[in-house]
Amino acid sequence: MTDLVLKNIGKTYPNGYQAIPSIDLVIEEGEFIVLVGPSGCGKSTLLRMVAGLETITQGDLLIKGNRVNDKEPADRDIAMVFQNYALYPHMTVRANMEYGLKNRGVPKEERQAKVTDVANMLGLDELLDRRPGQLSGGQRQRVAMGRAMVRDPKVFLFDEPLSNLDAKLRVQMRVEIRQLQRKLATTTLYVTHDQVEAMTLADRLVVLNKGKAEQIGTPMELYDKPATTFVAEFIGSPSMNLFDAMMTEEGIVLSDKTRLPMSHAHRGSVIWGIRPEHLQQSDEANADFSLQVQAVESLGAETLIHGLLEDGSGQPKPMVIRLAGPHLPEIGSYMWLIAPAKHWHLFDAVTQQRL
Amino acid sequence: MSVYFPQKKLPYLLVLPQLIITAIFFLWPAGQAVLQAFYREDAFGLSQQFVGLENFVDLFSDPLYYKSMLVTMVFSFSVAFLGIGVALWLAVMADRVIRGKMVYQTLLVWPYAVAPALAGVLWWILFDPNIGPIALFLDRIGLHWNHFLNGDQAMILVVISATWKQISYNFLFFLAGLQAIPRSLIEAAAIDGASSFRRFWDIVFPLLSPTTFFLLVVNLVYAFFDTFGVIDTTTQGGPDGSTNTLVYKVFKDGFIGLDSGGSAAQSIVLMAIVGLMTVIQFRFIERKVQY
Amino acid sequence: MIENRPWLKMFSHFILVFGVLIIALPVWVALVGSTQPEGSFNSGSVPLWFGDHGVQNWAHVLFAEAGSTLQIPVWHLLLNSLIMALGITIGKIAISIISAYAIVFFRFPFRGAIFWVIFMTLMLPVEVRIVPTYQVIANLNMLNSYSGLILPLIASATATFLFRQCFMSIPGELVEAARIDGAGPIRFFFDILLPMSRTNIAAMFVIMFIYGWNQYLWPLIITTDDTYYTLVMSIKSMLSVPDGDIQWNYVMVTTLLAMLPPVAVVVGMQKLFVKGLVDAEK
Ligand SMILES: Nc1ncnc2c1ncn2[C@@H]1O[C@H](COP(=O)(O)OP(=O)(O)OP(=O)(O)O)[C@@H](O)[C@H]1O
Ligand SMILES: [Mg+2]
Repeated sequence: MTDLVLKNIGKTYPNGYQAIPSIDLVIEEGEFIVLVGPSGCGKSTLLRMVAGLETITQGDLLIKGNRVNDKEPADRDIAMVFQNYALYPHMTVRANMEYGLKNRGVPKEERQAKVTDVANMLGLDELLDRRPGQLSGGQRQRVAMGRAMVRDPKVFLFDEPLSNLDAKLRVQMRVEIRQLQRKLATTTLYVTHDQVEAMTLADRLVVLNKGKAEQIGTPMELYDKPATTFVAEFIGSPSMNLFDAMMTEEGIVLSDKTRLPMSHAHRGSVIWGIRPEHLQQSDEANADFSLQVQAVESLGAETLIHGLLEDGSGQPKPMVIRLAGPHLPEIGSYMWLIAPAKHWHLFDAVTQQRL
Repeated sequence: MSVYFPQKKLPYLLVLPQLIITAIFFLWPAGQAVLQAFYREDAFGLSQQFVGLENFVDLFSDPLYYKSMLVTMVFSFSVAFLGIGVALWLAVMADRVIRGKMVYQTLLVWPYAVAPALAGVLWWILFDPNIGPIALFLDRIGLHWNHFLNGDQAMILVVISATWKQISYNFLFFLAGLQAIPRSLIEAAAIDGASSFRRFWDIVFPLLSPTTFFLLVVNLVYAFFDTFGVIDTTTQGGPDGSTNTLVYKVFKDGFIGLDSGGSAAQSIVLMAIVGLMTVIQFRFIERKVQY
Repeated sequence: MIENRPWLKMFSHFILVFGVLIIALPVWVALVGSTQPEGSFNSGSVPLWFGDHGVQNWAHVLFAEAGSTLQIPVWHLLLNSLIMALGITIGKIAISIISAYAIVFFRFPFRGAIFWVIFMTLMLPVEVRIVPTYQVIANLNMLNSYSGLILPLIASATATFLFRQCFMSIPGELVEAARIDGAGPIRFFFDILLPMSRTNIAAMFVIMFIYGWNQYLWPLIITTDDTYYTLVMSIKSMLSVPDGDIQWNYVMVTTLLAMLPPVAVVVGMQKLFVKGLVDAEK
């Protein structure tokens, strides 16, 4: 059953700035949707429209089939976790978690049972009588989630909930959020600008660019078949290598020296891409092209090699490759590389759309 | 804050009480003052006559008004400089001691709570020509003290009374300012070989200059407007107008001289001065908020 | 500390103790003087040590009559001062906290204009507009009344500004979280804003109480009936005796009594008061 439907949703701020032109999205019950995109692309705006904190200036928002555009946030049956947690500083953890239930007139016994339950689940039992000021960042984050969970809402909304935590805690909480969401099976809309977070959490991802949805799909769809160059560059780390090229009868022409045989109906300017992890080392005879090594980053389990694609055009192009295990090529030396055809990505140079 | 409640009528209800009070007790009298400044009443208050700018012309051609201005300047700047100087010195000393800082603070803040009128009375007692221990002591060393007859002595008395009360306020701000100076800065200067005297003038004092400037404005405003009680209980503007500040003169001309037009004209001039000082003060606060 | 030269510290303590003593001197003299028998000053300086009329003088002033032309006991004046000070304090805090709430948490037409009207009152201290304000109060028949003593001093841009500043530092997400939790503006005000501002309110209470208690000029001109006199202003009628024959021992008792409550409040709530004062201006 569909849980949350965004129909032609748009937002123009009172100052005339159009943050979101139009977005369509259908979310199934229990789905974990991540909104991802660079800073200022309108992620928060979209989330806050769903929450009811920002007026919707265009389109319809349906929760469980009911149009809720004009409903107060409290009447939409949603719960939200904020980036800075927004815990009430003068209330204990218990009071913070109870407050929403209290305002809804839930009887005391029931409230306490709920709080105890959720506190149990999140490991907050010991902290119930403390104030937010007496908690660590990670604990506050948990309380913020607990406050959302006790309400048992139809939709969870998260706005970059992990960005105030240190790297280690972030990974830990990420796993925990995913497990909790699976267990509760509550529809979730989650905003982040961290693509690793996005890839690991999402059932489906929405990549936003300047208020437009570039692509909506599962993490693997986005990785394997990015719909635009924007998505191709945004998803995956390090980013996909993209090169201007020409499509001719003989195949893809990167430069006078470098040609990659391929048959495709398209003709003219294209953008050719390949992910760093899909390039392979080879010997000179089989190589598609060579790379002059500029810098080496050894990460232990893998090695990133930054180099210049020498194609004789006099304009060397930067390229990154990612190899498993340790490698120590000399700076300035040449490496011979193969780009397997099944990993190529082709985009129209004008529309930037996938071909 | 960029988050607002959507209610449209409630906010009007919330500001209403303050607006009503403001309208009745501030705007109406201020309007009256403006009107009266252009009228003249006869001696019995029976008839009013529109006289245009004449009240202002009279005011600015009255040598007594200029004298009052001078008195106000001397009084205000004396109070401000004396109060700031003494308080800064005490604060620097208090910042230096480690134990007992709070005790000194307690022993120095309480005069803030004393009404200016009472501060006047307290110092009057000390300087009373008949019973005041200080006045009698001065007499004995050959300095005849009688602030009821000697204008300069009257000025000294009101300056001391007004300053006494204000030292606590300045002290608190300087102490807070001193404590906000990072220790590492002073330590760096010490490593650079600056003596403790040099460190004060080269580092501490410049860093305190925003506080000092702020206090200067606040002290001037205080001396201008809040010291009415000091003057009224001790000298009542005398002898011979030597402590007749502008604010005291408004009251005296209006209530004792029954010259409502002249008093209103003076009120207008004073409002302009307060306005100017308020703007300076707020400019300063806004700027301070930014860093 | 960088230096631990003992003489420097000794010197600091010496200056501070000296400062403390000078500042306390007038109160000491008044205290000593308040224990002297009537007429003991005619013959010379105020004695520098206590006399034996302390209890007698204080009881007389407090319960019988203040002395000079004032025939009313000081406890009555104390009560008036308390009513005035509390009236001003509570009134000011109440009306300025709600107007600051409206200004910070709502957007409405004429918000800017209203803000400026309130701001303007900063430029009009009572002392400056004393004559016309008196006339307004007279027109409203509020001379010699508690409402006349209190109401004109209630509107205060200062308090509104301080609350506004305090409210502006509250993160917007808190309002949003409250809205999601089903709290409307009224609930938010009572459940979240008030408890969060309680130290600010308390600090404001101290400062406003002192302001109210120490009012002098205003009660002086609008009260002619001594049942409405306040303690601080009553000192004037004890001092303006025709032939200069001031009953100094009673004046001293009254002065000390008049400064006692606000001084006690400042000393007792020193931390709050200092925080309120210093933070407010930041
Ligand atoms: N109240 C407002 N009025 C006008 N423009 C706004 C307002 N709020 C946000 N914007 C603009 O709308 C765009 C989207 O803002 P939004 O907060 O949704 O970005 P975001 O994707 O959440 O970014 P970030 O990752 O930095 O949080 C931005 O360009 C922003 O400047
Ligand atoms: Mg955002």
